[in-house]
Amino acid sequence: MSELTHASAPKRFIGGQLLGSSQLVLGVILAVLCIAISIAAPQFHSEANIIAILRQCALVLVVASGMTMLIITAEVDLSVGASLAFVGCIGMAVLNSTHSLALGMLAALAFAGGVGLFNGLVVTRLRVNSLIATIGTMMMLQGGVYLFTREAVQNHNQLASFTDLGAGYVGPVPVPVILAALIFVVAYVTLRFTTLGRYLYAVGANEKAVRLSGVRSERLKLFAFVVTGLCVGVAGMILSSLMNAGQPTAGRGFELTVIAAVILGGTSLLGGRGSLFGTLLGVLVLKVIDNGIIILGWNQDLQMVVPGVVIILATYLDIIRNRANVR
Amino acid sequence: MSLANIASAKAQPSLLARLFARQELALFVCLILVLVFFSVTVENFFSVRNMTNVLGQASLALTAGIGCAIVFISGEVDISIGSLLATIALPLIIIMNDTNSLLLGVSAALLFGLIIGVVNGYLTAYAGINSLIVTLGTMFIMRGGVYLYTGQRAIPDNASLDSFIALSDGRLFNIIPYSAVIAIVLLAAFGYMMQHRPFGRQIYAVGGNQEVARLAGYDVRRVKFICFIISSLLATVAGIILAARVGSAQHTAGLNFEFQVVAATVLGGVSLAGGIGSLTGMALGVLILQFLSNGLRGLGLPTEWQLVITGMIIIAAVAFDEAKRRRANGG
Repeated sequence: MSELTHASAPKRFIGGQLLGSSQLVLGVILAVLCIAISIAAPQFHSEANIIAILRQCALVLVVASGMTMLIITAEVDLSVGASLAFVGCIGMAVLNSTHSLALGMLAALAFAGGVGLFNGLVVTRLRVNSLIATIGTMMMLQGGVYLFTREAVQNHNQLASFTDLGAGYVGPVPVPVILAALIFVVAYVTLRFTTLGRYLYAVGANEKAVRLSGVRSERLKLFAFVVTGLCVGVAGMILSSLMNAGQPTAGRGFELTVIAAVILGGTSLLGGRGSLFGTLLGVLVLKVIDNGIIILGWNQDLQMVVPGVVIILATYLDIIRNRANVR
Repeated sequence: MSLANIASAKAQPSLLARLFARQELALFVCLILVLVFFSVTVENFFSVRNMTNVLGQASLALTAGIGCAIVFISGEVDISIGSLLATIALPLIIIMNDTNSLLLGVSAALLFGLIIGVVNGYLTAYAGINSLIVTLGTMFIMRGGVYLYTGQRAIPDNASLDSFIALSDGRLFNIIPYSAVIAIVLLAAFGYMMQHRPFGRQIYAVGGNQEVARLAGYDVRRVKFICFIISSLLATVAGIILAARVGSAQHTAGLNFEFQVVAATVLGGVSLAGGIGSLTGMALGVLILQFLSNGLRGLGLPTEWQLVITGMIIIAAVAFDEAKRRRANGG
């Protein structure tokens, strides 16, 4: 416990504001990966490829931003993958019937936010462990999406603004990357520089202490669940724009990718410790690996094996580094 | 553990209240309610044939659930069991196809399972990495490895050994499926270990309060290490039964299986926090979910509704249990 509270205190060593504990390891891993892949395949650092990597990062980063907040409060949401698919279908269906991007977006956000609210209420009011509660929600959503639609909801309008959401550019930068960057910055500032953010850390580190000091810890957790839900709403719309349809089968295993990225970024599952900057690095590492495997022409099934190794290895390196620091 | 005993002794609740406070009894009542409800509403639900069929279907989750519960009780989690099911089917089927020997195939599968258990256990207990991260990692590695090796194709069982096929459709005395017999025997053996053998009590002690267990002289790392090996070996047995049932090594075998098992285990009152719960509870949790899904199918509900209802029931059951526990603790 003392270790946790110690770790959640703001770090003051040189560069520590930006590069906390595990980010250093991760930064080195990322640099080594980029250099190694660039040597093996020079097209890796072409502009087109870098943009492609960023675009793939965007979807994960949007949800991972919310998930980081949630895991910092010592809760987790396994329903994001199932929710992503459902949101895409609902958003597309509303878009088809109303011909309005705003309404489609609103429906997606309302649904995903509602899922987050439901998860949050079950966890904070009914005190169900979040791992179990969100497995339950995941099952309900997986079943529910097939009750809603048996096949993909096709895009009947071809609204330009909707297509731009996933495939558009502002200058050389893809729109999803801009959206992800915006959400990331807002979440980063919230966590780092606001009282709310500091309370989120405090709830994760020691919920009882927070409650005793007069803060309603349940509300903070509820907030983190809803934010995660809203992030899924945005990601769901980006995904259905990219696929030009709402796919009920989309998002299988997406929750695990997101959680893997957050954990890789050094956010502790015990709560109270972690940073969004680490999550950004985690997402980048996972997606650079994905991209490297494709560019080098390796078997794409390695895209599951390598991240598995990296998650364990990075966590282990972090533990070793912490032990060395203690000595 | 002892503190909890003292606390409950102080409160001196009535015999009836104490009986109902027992997790297993409440679960048993739930199971009876499920059985009664579907016996009335679904034709042929309460037949020997259907009951034993469900038991056979439940054997997978029952067998793997033992390991899952033991790891939970030790205060850790193992979510790699779904991928493990697909992984160990490869050596099993390949060796059987090559040698026509069930014994060699099963040995190879168990050896694989043992190695996976050692890796999970070592990384968690000795290297000190969070078990959720370790088993999330090995889950990815194993599933990816299976995809790589098989090229995402199923490997059929060409040996078609009678003894192997009997695992899927053979029945003891023509009544109880062999897979259910295996699950029940394992359940009894490990249930005895958990309740009456020193090692079982050590697992409870380690999960209940790691520091106290260490001070009491238990080798906490070794206990956790062995729990992971038990979990992997039991999941291997489940994987062998599954391979027999589908007659091949499927690369998609066991997808989401870990979630089903975790849900049933927690429904059975085994706490994720460690030190609390029993294998009886876990078994009742598995049976409730299995009979529920069978009954809902009997009512003609599509699979999607089964998922939705199961999800709702898991949340409701755990919420109910939590409310009961809080009232028992006076807050």
